Amino acid sequence: MSPKTRGMVSVFAILAALALGPIVRAEDETLPVVRFHDGRFEPDELVVKAKTPFRLRVVNATQDAIEFESFELNRERVVLPGAEIVVYLPALDPGSYKFFDDFHHGAGEGTITAR
Amino acid sequence: MRRKVLVGLACVFAGAQAIRFEHTNPPITGELAAPPAVQRALRHACYDCHSNETSWPWSANLAPISWLVHYDVTEGRRRLNFSSWDAYASDPGTQIQKLKNLQKAMAEDDMPPWYYRLLHPDSKLSESQHKVIVRWVAEQITGTQPSQ
Repeated sequence: MSPKTRGMVSVFAILAALALGPIVRAEDETLPVVRFHDGRFEPDELVVKAKTPFRLRVVNATQDAIEFESFELNRERVVLPGAEIVVYLPALDPGSYKFFDDFHHGAGEGTITAR
Repeated sequence: MRRKVLVGLACVFAGAQAIRFEHTNPPITGELAAPPAVQRALRHACYDCHSNETSWPWSANLAPISWLVHYDVTEGRRRLNFSSWDAYASDPGTQIQKLKNLQKAMAEDDMPPWYYRLLHPDSKLSESQHKVIVRWVAEQITGTQPSQ
């Protein structure tokens, strides 16, 4: 590949990334979401389809960092104040899986129910 | 009076033996992939509580020490289990968080817990073992992109 072609490919890749960025972002907004505010998760029960991998948005609407944690799901993620994350989750067997904020032990727990 | 206290303590000790916990080593689903030197160091100091390859000590059958051992292994596996690392790796953000936890534990030198070190004096990491883990963890954190 000549330097000129390589340069054009790089420019195209950057433009494609810039163009696709908002699409990926918009896609994230359709994901199931749990929002942490006032010391609790809302909703505190999230129903998802069993045997299907999915992604979950976790929004921290408080002024403190939280730690989204689930022993049953093997997930542990810090969410900064006012920030949000996307958690990748595997295909779950039918059942209930608890999650909680490990930085605030008095805070309410939540459950992901796979059906 | 003294005899009654001793008899009472003996009864409590004997009664405590009735509360037993099963010692299990569940299957390994996906072990942490690390260079042999890192693996050896982690096995040396961490695997009894943070893996499904626990070497259960004789004291794990003697209450109340058995209760502490059971608690440490259960809690240790829930917090960080090197035998199910594949589960963490399926969410890159979680994998990084686990590595950061390990980095913090190494920096603060608070693992293994002091009472574990007391019972297992050889579990303390040597300086070279400590360094090899710290270096490898730092490389992993730098090389892994978070999925924010």
